[in-house]
Amino acid sequence: MVRKILHLDLDAFFCAVEELNNPALRGVPFAVGGRPDQRGVVASCSYAARRFGVRSAMSTATALRLCPGLILVPHRRGAYSQVSRQVMARLHDLSPLVEQLSIDEAFVDVSFLPDDPAEVARRLQSEINESLGLPCSLGVATNKLVAKIANNVGKSRVQGDAPPNAITVVPPGEEAAFLSELPVSELWGVGPKTAETLARYGVRTIGDVAAWPEAELMRLFGKHGQSIARHARGIDDRPVEPERETKSISKEITFSRDVTDGVLLERTLRQLADGVGRQARKSRLSGTTVKLKLRWSDFTTLTRQVTLDHPVDEDDAIFEAARELFHRFWTVGRPVRLIGVGLSGFAQPHRQLGLWEDPAEESEKRRLQTTLDDLRERFGDDAIRRGSDLSIDEP
Amino acid sequence: MRVSVLQENLYKGLSIVGRAVPSRASLPILSNVLIATEDARVRLAATNLQLGITVWIGAKVEDDGSVTLPARTFQDLVATLPPERVDMDLDTRTLTLHLHCAGKSANIKGMDAAEFPQMPEFEPDRAISVRADVFKEMIEQVVFAAAKDESRPVLAGVLLRFDGDVFTMAAADGYRLSVRTTELEFSVGDRAPDPVIVPARTLQELGRIISDDDEEVLIALPDGRGQVMFSLDNVLVVSQLIEGKFPDYEAIIPRTYQTSVMAYTSELLAACRSSEVFAKDSANTARVLIEPASSPNEPGQVIVAGQSQEKGDAQAPLEATIEGTAIEIAFNIRYLIEVLNVIREDRVVLETSGPTAPGVVRPAGRDDFIHVIMPMSTAR
Repeated sequence: MVRKILHLDLDAFFCAVEELNNPALRGVPFAVGGRPDQRGVVASCSYAARRFGVRSAMSTATALRLCPGLILVPHRRGAYSQVSRQVMARLHDLSPLVEQLSIDEAFVDVSFLPDDPAEVARRLQSEINESLGLPCSLGVATNKLVAKIANNVGKSRVQGDAPPNAITVVPPGEEAAFLSELPVSELWGVGPKTAETLARYGVRTIGDVAAWPEAELMRLFGKHGQSIARHARGIDDRPVEPERETKSISKEITFSRDVTDGVLLERTLRQLADGVGRQARKSRLSGTTVKLKLRWSDFTTLTRQVTLDHPVDEDDAIFEAARELFHRFWTVGRPVRLIGVGLSGFAQPHRQLGLWEDPAEESEKRRLQTTLDDLRERFGDDAIRRGSDLSIDEP
Repeated sequence: MRVSVLQENLYKGLSIVGRAVPSRASLPILSNVLIATEDARVRLAATNLQLGITVWIGAKVEDDGSVTLPARTFQDLVATLPPERVDMDLDTRTLTLHLHCAGKSANIKGMDAAEFPQMPEFEPDRAISVRADVFKEMIEQVVFAAAKDESRPVLAGVLLRFDGDVFTMAAADGYRLSVRTTELEFSVGDRAPDPVIVPARTLQELGRIISDDDEEVLIALPDGRGQVMFSLDNVLVVSQLIEGKFPDYEAIIPRTYQTSVMAYTSELLAACRSSEVFAKDSANTARVLIEPASSPNEPGQVIVAGQSQEKGDAQAPLEATIEGTAIEIAFNIRYLIEVLNVIREDRVVLETSGPTAPGVVRPAGRDDFIHVIMPMSTAR
């Protein structure tokens, strides 16, 4: 069956919300973000500001250099979340198959609707334009990959101070042709490193990739090469996955040989806790329960958990709790076959501040954690590692 | 021992000393209460080695003597007796106490009084006198802020400080701080004892024991014993002190504020209680929105809001006199409720300097009580 997938993206969302709040901002170069003296960054910038070269994730200081008249509006997460929920509710009215990607982006599968998907997209757009007063762009295609790329392309084609409010349709069968002229970096899973490797072989457009034999790509990039080859031809079978409520996040590892070394076990626990923490932060979840799982050499499994007094998502907090459990239930020298760490009991993040606590220290920690997450997100898990892990890997 | 007492007095005495009987005694004798004659009175005593309580009740003593009896059994039995005279007669050979009251009789098997830990005697000569009703209020306003767990032992206690004629009590569990002062009638002058840390539990019991009949509490800190004694008309409470240094609490009391709210205590308390219904589900986190008046003739508004992801939310607004800028701050609403519960004044002041700065709560027009609460951080 040919699917009908919409990709919706709210245009300069935070700015659009701010404009609703203060119509005087309309058409003016402004940005939502932190103050330059606090090393703030631009979270979202108006289309008028983009004409000066201002981009989101740029430091506010740089943005002000590019556009000296730039108005800075403080970030109001609560307001954006509230409006975002209203938008998502409109999508759910349309179809139960809604996959929210972020605060301002989602896929909707409307395959079961008899209507032309382009028409569905137009109705949805005018509904969001009129009832919520928000500009939005849509990509329409037979799968998620092409719908999203179509939307990106369609938005970038619109120039000017006004939001694009674009709709871009890729009809069934035209996926490969649509993609062929685009640079490879538009493809999912093609990061700067992969793009660089491909460029060395003279491969620059998605069409170039599609023309390459799949076997050759697999030789270069392994299993990843296969998905690149398929994506380049506009093939993507992944379903739109409605958000399932995450009940727990866990990571575990089975050793190839049972481990008795406490130092190694603790180091493994550290890596697992870091992984759980990172996923929690990525999913914006904080949990109050930390679980430790240990499987002994006789395959019996022990799970123990501890409930903390406030929800956590920091690597250190998860690790500390897991380590304490570990030392409570592991007797020195006992062989361990599997070790795992889990986080559950998700709740609204909140933390009681302490009387003798330095609030600056806490925000420093938070900032370090965010920076590490960003580095790993952009350059891969190995971009930065703990000193404690280096000794074993690189003697 | 042959002695007669009134059932009401015996029962009341036993329920007071019973508070010191450990629920799981490390030594069998500690499950017992000591009963001994002393002049024309009966002395009842119990201890868990941390906290000891002695109560004297009026009695008609025919023969002196002493014994210890299982506290729970003795108290349970006396509770069932009518309010009449209780005659007690000890068989010194079997250590069994024969008890008669209004035709009922009972025999309770005891243990030798010599095995019972020696209870120290009160040393009145250097004792400090505090008005009983004031002391009771001080305990009430401070003790709840002490830590409930023992992870930092000094925080499970209350600091008692004497400086000239000022007596200060302070407690903090790491998240909130309560400080109450009073002026002593008789200055301790230059013989002021060093500050001590008294277990919160001791003061809680003392707060229960102090009655309207008591006029003063005498506090004694015998040299080098690591103990504190509190003497009332007919009760003596002896407690071990907590060793260690109480953290510097004065440094964390904010001296300035950005926003100050004055509201009716009962209205703010009611608003907090409404929000608590939902805040319970999110670790008691409630938001307090402070909005100054838009024009000088109008009152400002405080909204206390609690939210539960599953169950819903509540907003309780109230009028207030607000000075400074608008602020939104999140608190553990239990903390706010607990302090509002111990403020007797009609009006209360809440001062804050931002969502991560300590909030100060104090009764309006009084400067002898200050309570500091750290907010909840809800930011990511």
